Amino acid sequence: MTSYLGNFLLWLSLFFAISQFFISRKSNEQNKKFISISVYGLLISSVSSFFLLMYAYVVSDFSLVNVFQNSHTTKPLLYKISGVWGNHEGSMLLWILVLTIFNYFIFNLNNKNNYFFISKCLETQALITIGFILFTALTSNPFERTIFNQQDGLGFNPILQDPALAIHPPLLYVGYVGFSAAFSIGVAALKLSEDKKIPWHLYMKPFVMAAWSFLSIGIALGSIWAYYELGWGGWWFWDPVENASFMPWLLGTALLHSLIMVEKRMLLQNWVLLLSILAFLLSIIGTFLVRSGILTSVHTFALDPARGIYILVFAAILGSYSLYLFGTKSKKFVNSNYFAFFSKEGSILINNILMVVVCLTVFLGTIYPLLIEALTSNKISVGEPYYNSTAVPIILPAILIMGIGPILSWKKDDKLKTFKKILPVVVLSALTTIFIFLIYKSYSLIGIAGVFLGLWIIFNNIMILIKKLKNYSIGMVVAHLGIGLMILGITGSTVWQEEKIIKMKINDNIRVNKFNLVFNKISEVEGPNYVAIRGNFLVYDNKKNLITELNPENRFYPVTNNFTTEASIYTNLLGDLYSVLGEGNINSGWVLRIYYNPLVVWIWIGAFTIFLGGVVSLRNNLTKLKSLY
Amino acid sequence: MKKHILFFPSIFFILILLIFFYLLTIDRDPSKVPSALLNKNFPKFETESLLKEKKFVASKEFKDRIILVNFFASWCNPCRIEHDFIKRFSNNKKIKVIGINYKDNPKKANEWLKKLGNPYSNIALDKNGRIAIDWGVYGIPETFVVNSDGIIKYRHVGPINKKIYKKINKIINEN
Repeated sequence: MTSYLGNFLLWLSLFFAISQFFISRKSNEQNKKFISISVYGLLISSVSSFFLLMYAYVVSDFSLVNVFQNSHTTKPLLYKISGVWGNHEGSMLLWILVLTIFNYFIFNLNNKNNYFFISKCLETQALITIGFILFTALTSNPFERTIFNQQDGLGFNPILQDPALAIHPPLLYVGYVGFSAAFSIGVAALKLSEDKKIPWHLYMKPFVMAAWSFLSIGIALGSIWAYYELGWGGWWFWDPVENASFMPWLLGTALLHSLIMVEKRMLLQNWVLLLSILAFLLSIIGTFLVRSGILTSVHTFALDPARGIYILVFAAILGSYSLYLFGTKSKKFVNSNYFAFFSKEGSILINNILMVVVCLTVFLGTIYPLLIEALTSNKISVGEPYYNSTAVPIILPAILIMGIGPILSWKKDDKLKTFKKILPVVVLSALTTIFIFLIYKSYSLIGIAGVFLGLWIIFNNIMILIKKLKNYSIGMVVAHLGIGLMILGITGSTVWQEEKIIKMKINDNIRVNKFNLVFNKISEVEGPNYVAIRGNFLVYDNKKNLITELNPENRFYPVTNNFTTEASIYTNLLGDLYSVLGEGNINSGWVLRIYYNPLVVWIWIGAFTIFLGGVVSLRNNLTKLKSLY
Repeated sequence: MKKHILFFPSIFFILILLIFFYLLTIDRDPSKVPSALLNKNFPKFETESLLKEKKFVASKEFKDRIILVNFFASWCNPCRIEHDFIKRFSNNKKIKVIGINYKDNPKKANEWLKKLGNPYSNIALDKNGRIAIDWGVYGIPETFVVNSDGIIKYRHVGPINKKIYKKINKIINEN
């Protein structure tokens, strides 16, 4: 029953998407009513199909293969719900849901003056939606029926049972889909005839802002999950799936900044249009890399080459259509408003170039193993050392410029005046950096650079706030402050991480950084759907005061037959004590891995600050857009 | 600005797609790591048998015929998925299917086989995973084809599906 209804709703949404596509192609006012029916029909049918699947998960309806394979009656309710998008098929349904919600937002922007423009956006948006619905219905149908009656499900991978991971995919999809809106707007702008003056950048910016903010927080949550759940002591692994979200983020960052140029000075319009197209195409290519099984990664989605071919064909259609349009139509956007290198435009341009170069570097690193395999049939893997020695050195100058860019004037700025303006910040950052290093006495060139750059960004933005320099945007200041905090966190946790692996018996102790750990006891505990062995460690500081207890666990989930390690982490603003229990027994002792990760919590604080800044900017952009109506 | 510059992105994009397309169409499996044991003698072992009272001596079992060696356990879900294919192999008169029961409780393994059917002509017990280490197994299910001279000809990591089933049959027919 659920299966029939679900399939019906899926095909119904396809019908509405197709009708939206054809009606919006003929964009005259009489059709408005029909477009509206399609948009609402699409929204309602996709919302219903999504909640139908959610309902099937909540009531454990094992007549659906998807529920059977990914759920279990003993699973906590939160994870039954997040189980909907914790697998390939269900997550495609979420994609479609977010797509249709954004589609509805775009439709709501229409008025008399921009009707042609909006219907062109809706046409492209419908094309994208059709592609995704067909993909879901034909290759990844979440409403497929089980042949036999099933008593209970196969269960859900326990390492995915984590609150951060429950909301991580929806946030990422808002990001990706937001770029789809920017893509549609970009394509529509290319189709505009020259006599129609539509400020397309005002339409594009809120979508890019939303996409970028949500992508930022989505990536951060994924990273938080990896840190707390995987038990590897780190928070970023340059995994292909992480890269697949990081690359659109980099292009999104470039797009966001160059949109400011279009807004203020109508500069670089073709560049912005190209970025808006590429950001979304990269999101699709990322999906392809992850879901086709062409690469292996820690994120194992069910693999099926048919899916890969489908996404590739879809990407080829969208890509060749939009990029061909760009090739033929973007010439009219070239303009010759020149600017000096030492100016706000100059700094944004350099930022753009650097972001794109980083993106290309990451892209190359991600597909390099594939290239090598195709050419020589050797297997290689590209890891952290590659990215550290290529991407990081390009990011460093970008951060340097990021500090100064916002205080420069448009068109041209005076070098001497600027230097006087930033001198206090340079001195302050340098002094603070020296001060920090004198206290901690731990010298490392990359550490010094990182701390200085982090402080440089933070102090510059505080200066902008205090001196009320120019008509700054508060969202920008907040987001940049977030980046500054994040850089401090990243530097601290990578340069000064301490790691110890030791075999311990009861009452043994070990020293890590300024902490002293004592192995107190080990016991068996029983959770809602797992059994675990839990170690108990008492943590003392230098003065022998008990600070906290760490309880790392080794869990066994009987339903899925999974063993997982549950790290126990003591977090404070200066650093995390991170403990993971390994194998062992009473006689020979237990293996314990302990990390001291300085400042790691600032990465998350920074990420949330960035998100906050993005949301504030989003509000301003929406106000600007509203002024058109 | 010269107009053809504006077409660069599309050319670049098409090139990348072509590479991906090529990689998808050639027969490759990203999770496949070539085994160091390929074309070498199988690692010998002696252990208890799950089915018989007599000791399992590999050198006596692996003789005269092509052997399909399948590492499995009752706790392993993917093993259940591939079980139908293992059963199909057991109908093939040219080969002998040997199971290696990996880190399992013999009682549970017996129940499991009773429920799903037993395709194995004999099963070696690998209680502590020692045999699996010698064979370079890093995750079960894993399947090896050993020819009648005791040489390992093929190894597959993960559950057997239709494609792999056909491939293994081809290898069996070649040997």
